Parts: sequence; structure tokens; C-alpha cells
Amino acid sequence: MHRGKGMKFVGDSRVPADRKPNIPKDYSEFPGKTEAFWPNFLLKEWLVGAVFLIGYLCLTVAHPAPLERVADPTDSGYIPLPDWYFLFLYQLLKYEFASSDFTVIGAVIIPGLAFGALLLAPWLDKGPERRASRRPIASGLMIFGIISTVYLTWESVDHHDWEAAAEQGEMLDEEEEEALEDVDTNAEGYEIYTDQGCISCHGDQLQGTGAAGPSLYDTQYDADMIQEIAVEGIGEMPADQFDGSDEELEVLAEFVSNGGNPGNGGGDSGSEEESEEESSGDNNEENAE
Amino acid sequence: MSEEQNHNVSRRQFLTYTLTGVGGFMAAGIILPMARFAIDPVLQAESAGDMKAVASVDDLTDQPQRFDFSYEQEDAWNTSEVTETAWIYQEGDEIVALSPTCTHLGCTVGWEANQDHPEEFFCPCHGGRFKKDGTNIEGTPPTEPLHKYEVEVQEGTVYVGKAESQV
Amino acid sequence: MLQRVYEWVDERLDITPMWRDIADHEVPEHVNPAHHFSAFVYCFGGLTFFITVIQILSGMFLTMYYVPDIVNAYESVRYLQGDVAYGTIVRGMHHWGASLVIVMIFLHTLRVFFTGAYKRPRELNWVVGVLIFFVMLGLGFTGYLLPWDMKAYFATVVGLQIAESVPLVGTLSKTLLSGDPEIIGAQTLTRFFAIHVFFLPGALLGLLAAHFIMIRRQGISGPL
Repeated sequence: MHRGKGMKFVGDSRVPADRKPNIPKDYSEFPGKTEAFWPNFLLKEWLVGAVFLIGYLCLTVAHPAPLERVADPTDSGYIPLPDWYFLFLYQLLKYEFASSDFTVIGAVIIPGLAFGALLLAPWLDKGPERRASRRPIASGLMIFGIISTVYLTWESVDHHDWEAAAEQGEMLDEEEEEALEDVDTNAEGYEIYTDQGCISCHGDQLQGTGAAGPSLYDTQYDADMIQEIAVEGIGEMPADQFDGSDEELEVLAEFVSNGGNPGNGGGDSGSEEESEEESSGDNNEENAE
Repeated sequence: MSEEQNHNVSRRQFLTYTLTGVGGFMAAGIILPMARFAIDPVLQAESAGDMKAVASVDDLTDQPQRFDFSYEQEDAWNTSEVTETAWIYQEGDEIVALSPTCTHLGCTVGWEANQDHPEEFFCPCHGGRFKKDGTNIEGTPPTEPLHKYEVEVQEGTVYVGKAESQV
Repeated sequence: MLQRVYEWVDERLDITPMWRDIADHEVPEHVNPAHHFSAFVYCFGGLTFFITVIQILSGMFLTMYYVPDIVNAYESVRYLQGDVAYGTIVRGMHHWGASLVIVMIFLHTLRVFFTGAYKRPRELNWVVGVLIFFVMLGLGFTGYLLPWDMKAYFATVVGLQIAESVPLVGTLSKTLLSGDPEIIGAQTLTRFFAIHVFFLPGALLGLLAAHFIMIRRQGISGPL
């Protein structure tokens, strides 16, 4: 390369005036089938990328990103679940040796050791040997790590009640939102509903609280059946939840079977006539407050 | 240059130190206000938590009763009305107010909510149980007692503050 | 025409050496899936970068509609997904990309580990790679809250509970993340937004640059 005296520059810049030829390197000097990054190898990479992108786009079209109903911090019955790649940690914290008194072990020591070892792998496994089979300790630990992560994730997925989870977060359809809006909180029935503690499991708008109690406003039971359930329980609902007078029980059952309205003769949802007019967004805002 | 070699600090070293110093000053000047800005929530004096009127002392018995109370919760620029519940009873002179939030997964417990377990708080989600003073019963899912509200009585009215862990 | 533009720029800035350096860097046979099909494992790193690019682009476009405020966040997500043309696809790309990038970076890490490519002299690049992995997990955690739906909210509640259970610094780090010692609300959302959109991507870009510069400096590790 030309240096020093006699060098010419472009104007008063530091860019040399003599142009370098823009020609590819000669690959015959490289061993085997080594090839140039551009355009030979990049083309192959982009072919892989294109195939990948097609699959990826199909996925986005086939499965739109999920969205549950708006966050309601007061919903105490919701069973939470972290994003799938944190499930292993979530599951770890459920085990006795890693929870309550020993949370430190589950939340700090075990993940700290695992990720610390991962970060410092080059200094923990210093030997020159690169083949996985020739460094059994390092490979073994890594395989152990992978298996336990996969196992923990699997256990967590397996223990989770996916049906209940889907239900508890469901966005309300229009009719349900209307029913919700129609809950008459001044009714005598609502007072009984509150006093008897129904509210703690079935929500202040009869909407249910996920795990603890199902929504009541679209219940398929009639008033008589509701009276019976309130006293005798059903499914996971324990018996003898109700301890008021018979009149109160009647009013309550009527109130619930009418979708949160004082009874006027039955029907499963007292709000069907009005349900068309209002937009679906309204109710979510109300919930958010 | 020759005379400078006698100094302990060479010109180049001096310039390097000065450069580091000025650089440090600039970095500090930029970062400090931002760092203080970012950690503000940690340093903010904990609001004593206003005491909220819940019930009249006359209403209390030696059995836990459910009282709902609402207050304005200030979350920075966002204010919302929050309703909370306390289970309150009187034992001798002491007034005990327990939070109904199950310490297992945050469901809502009720006093004698299950006939099979009288004189206990019961959580319908996973069958967690607590004694009257909030102690969790061993063998049920919760890992600690129900949280206890700070209680204050003024002129016959019970005020509660924040619910705090009993352990 | 293009040639003339190139020459015009090259005359002034002498870009040919840089360009030849990028174009001509040799790709050895053992990483080329066209020669050995098993070499597809060497694609995971590139695919991770590919998805990262998609994530950055789709994220930039999502912020055209998204509002990081607890009153409007949910409605804005619902609007951009339901009412804006191709909203389902753009949000879908960002949503699924977040999962795919974790899968790919995981596979890439395994490839590097089992081919022993992290050994001397490539220790530093491994460390930077693991840091990128952490940043990706952080991006996943902070991004999950942003739609402000039930799932997002309660996943964050649990996540912060885990952070809080760390001794000594637990409460502190939880408050720093959520912006309030007790409430997970308005300030949590804005903080997570800031971290997700500015802090972590900034760190990510720096780490990625370091990662790539080191690869170009040292070349791909040789065949086993």
C-alpha cells in the first residue's frame, strides 16, 4: 500500500485518491468448499429465513395473539401463570424444599447456580477438548439442566387447569356485558347476595372470580334450583353457604336467576331487550376502574 | 520533554487524569439526576396509610364479623376507589381485624364459611383454613397466618390501617 | 446508475475496503447446510437475529397505537388488534416472535455449548451471548404486562412476588420495578414500558454489536 510522501487525497480529506479495485477474493486459496459470505452463503441463509418466515406468518394468521379481559386487580380468584419460559422457575417455587421457608433456595440459590454456571461455562470447563462426548462432566451437567428445565415446565403445564384458566380470563361477549351492566346493586336481592358472602366467590357483579366461583348471570338453573344450591352446595361449592330466612332465600334466588335483577316472573336473563344498543367497549372501562 | 521526566506525574498522565475527571463529572452530572429520578419510589417516605373508618365498636362481638370499607387509593396520577374487607372481632379489650386474603393464592376467606370447620376461617379455593386469630392450620395450603390490619379506636369508631403480615 | 452512485460515494468515503471485508469473509464448509445438512444447527444464531429484527420492527409499529397507561392500554391493544388493518398480524408477529426468539436463542446456546465453541479464545463472546439471553428473558417479562389484561397483570404479580422473595434486595428491586411498594398499577405499567422499549433494547443492541464484532474478529470455530 502506498504510504507517506507522494500520496494523493480526495480534496482536502483523508481519503486516498487511488481507488482500490472492487473485486471478490479468490476462494481457490481456501481449504475445502469454503465460500464467500456475499452473495453465496447469505443467499442460502436467506432461503432458510424465507421458509422460516412463511411458517411464522402462518402461525400469526392461524393463532392471533391472545387477549384476555382487561386487568382487574381486585379479582382475587384468578389463578396466575407466567409466560411459558418462566414456568420452570414458577414450578420450582411450588416444591416444599424451595418454597415458604426455603424460598431463598428456589428463588436465588438454584437459579443463581444454574445461570451463574452457564455464564461462567468457559472457565468451569477449561480443557481444550471440544467434543461433547469427550468432556462428560460439562455435557452431563448441561443435559441435566435441560432435562430438569423441560421436566419442570412440563409439570407446571400438566398441573395447570387450562379449562378453568381459559374461562377465567375470557373476554365477555356483548350479551354478558349487558347482563353485567344490568346488575341492580340497589335491589334487595343484591343486599342479601352481599350479606350472605356470595359476593366473595361470585363477584360484585355476579361475574364470578375465576377459580373460586363461576359467573352467575348466565346460570342455567332456575330459581328453585338456585335455592337448593345455595343451601346444599354443588360441585366444589360447599353446603350451607346460606343462612338466612326462607324469604331471603327466595328473593336471592329470584335475583340471581334474573341476571341480577329483582324478579318479575322468571326468564334467564332480564336484559335481552336492551342488549343491542350499547357498544361493547363500555363495560370494560367500568371494570378497569 | 527532558525536564518533565523529573516529575512524578508526566504530562500525558496528568492529561489522562484530567480527562477521566472531567469525563466522570460529565457522567455524574448526567446520570445522578436520572438515577435519583428512577429510584424515587424506593425513597419516597412511606405514606403512613390513612386510617379508614370501618365500624362502630358497639357492633363488635367476640365472633369475627365481615365489614366492608372503601377508600381512595392513590396510585401516582391515578386515583381509584378501592373496596376492602376486614373480619373484625373483639377479645377483651383488644380489637382484632384480619384481612380476608388467603395467604396461599390470594382467594377470599370467610369465617365459618364451611360447616365442617366451625370457628375457623375457610378458603373455598383450595380448602385453606385459619384459626380465629388468623393462624394457618397446618396441613392446609397456606404458608402463613392471615394478615392483620392496624387498628385504632376513636370515639367509638374502629379505624383500620394497612394489613400487615403477622410473621 | 447504481454503479455510478456507488462510485460517487466510494470516491469520497473509500467504502470498498469495508464492503469487501463484509462480502468476502469466508464461510467454511462445515457450517454450510448446503454441504452438510447437519450444519443447519449453525442457522439458529442467524434465525435468532432474524426474529430480533422482526421484533424491533413490529414493536416500533405497535407503539404507533399503543398507550402505556392503565386506563387506555387494554383498549388500545384491543383496538390495534381488532380494528386496525393487519393488526392481528403485527401484534401476532410480536407476540409469537417473543416466544420463538427464546426457543431459537436456547437452541443456539445448546449448539455453541455442545460443539465446545465457547472455549478459548471465544470466552468473552460466550459471556456476551449469555447476557443477550438474560436481556431477552427480561424483554419477555416486561413485554408480557403491556396489554394489561388479566393474564398479563397476574403473571406480573407472581413475577414480582418472586423478585420480592429474594433476601436483602428483594423488596427494593420489586419497588424499583413496580414503581410503588404495594400497588401494581399505573407506575408499574409505565416503568415496564420504559424498560421494554428503551432500556433493554438499548442494552440488546450494544451486546449484539459486540457479539457480531467478536465473531468477525475471531471467525467461526473450526470443525470438530
